[in-house]
Amino acid sequence: MLALILVALLHHSFGAEYDVNSPITLTGTLTAIEWTNPHTHFYLDVKDASGKVVNWKFEGYNPSVLIRTGWKRNVTMKVGDTITVFGWRARDGGNWAHSREITLPDGKKMFFGPPAGTGDGGAQPAVEVK
Amino acid sequence: MRFTFTVQGSAFAAALLFCATAASAQVPRMGAHPDLTGIWQGGSTTPGPWEEANGGSGVGGTGRNPNAPAVLSSNDRPAGREGAPYQDWAAKKVLESFNKRGIDDPTAQCLPGGIPRSVTLGLFPQQFVQTPTQVVMLYEYMNVFRVIPFASKHPDDILPSYMGNAIGRWDGDTLVVDSIGFNDKTWLAGTGTFHSEDLHIVERFTRVSKDRINYEVTMEDPKVLTKPWKLTSSLMLREGTHLDEYICAENNLDPGRYEQLLKAGVKITR
Repeated sequence: MLALILVALLHHSFGAEYDVNSPITLTGTLTAIEWTNPHTHFYLDVKDASGKVVNWKFEGYNPSVLIRTGWKRNVTMKVGDTITVFGWRARDGGNWAHSREITLPDGKKMFFGPPAGTGDGGAQPAVEVK
Repeated sequence: MRFTFTVQGSAFAAALLFCATAASAQVPRMGAHPDLTGIWQGGSTTPGPWEEANGGSGVGGTGRNPNAPAVLSSNDRPAGREGAPYQDWAAKKVLESFNKRGIDDPTAQCLPGGIPRSVTLGLFPQQFVQTPTQVVMLYEYMNVFRVIPFASKHPDDILPSYMGNAIGRWDGDTLVVDSIGFNDKTWLAGTGTFHSEDLHIVERFTRVSKDRINYEVTMEDPKVLTKPWKLTSSLMLREGTHLDEYICAENNLDPGRYEQLLKAGVKITR
């Protein structure tokens, strides 16, 4: 029963809201960033196949986690910047997604959100399954 | 030959003693006891400043050092860990939460993480402020705190709470924190790990070097567990980090989204 536990914590369940089988990479223009708890959000104008602009919403880590991992509020990325986001789509197929990695205008890549699966219980329950 | 061996052996023993003494000498002290004052990160074994120490690709990592150990989510059961000793009926309830992907997680409602979850999580820092009469533990995650007086007895008028009623004492160089008076609205360590108001927790904090506190926690709850549940972890000093405000209720969209997805008939369970 004595074991090393290495744990972080995310506020909510990835798997309940987002689909690990629906990865998505989008490039667009940043229209807004919300530096709020428990999660940040940003919005991206993305042109679809027909040329129509669709505004996507992405979720990320909370502000303090981003600051501690090297982000600078409204400096590292700013409204108007063209960025590329990798993440996973919401389970309802809407225009919102969980962000993971952002490619900034200068080509630098930084994580904006945690890996897929964070907070939804992991691969194995805490108890033995009988 | 024998003489040489003995000399080498003695030199080796002396070197070991020197290392041990050097490490413990680096532990700041307050009077007769170690001083645990500082900003700490739970769930890590890597020394150094926050950004440098969190270079892995797991939760909270920058990904700049892919070889760095991944830090798991507190909702996860780490590989190799034994199952938590829940009574059969209670284990079924834990499993239900797991199968619901933890949408019933109290922290999704912005409620406090409780103990030991608040201590072992690694995504947010915690600060210990020690005085000769008490230790104050501040948790950025959910903006909660524990005021732990050095006392031999819990007060008589405890109201059940998320973080419990804690008293501290020294066992040699180990701070022992005894907590009772918990409500039943937190999870212990992993998705669904609920408990009753009878929860009794004993935590042992041993600062083994300037950079590291070894953490050992024993949870007892005869209403839901079959035996005491013991876990170990560690806390690493993060000089240069400060605690930020974390007002979870500011923009908590998750419970609404769960409801919306369920209402729309989207399958979100396992």
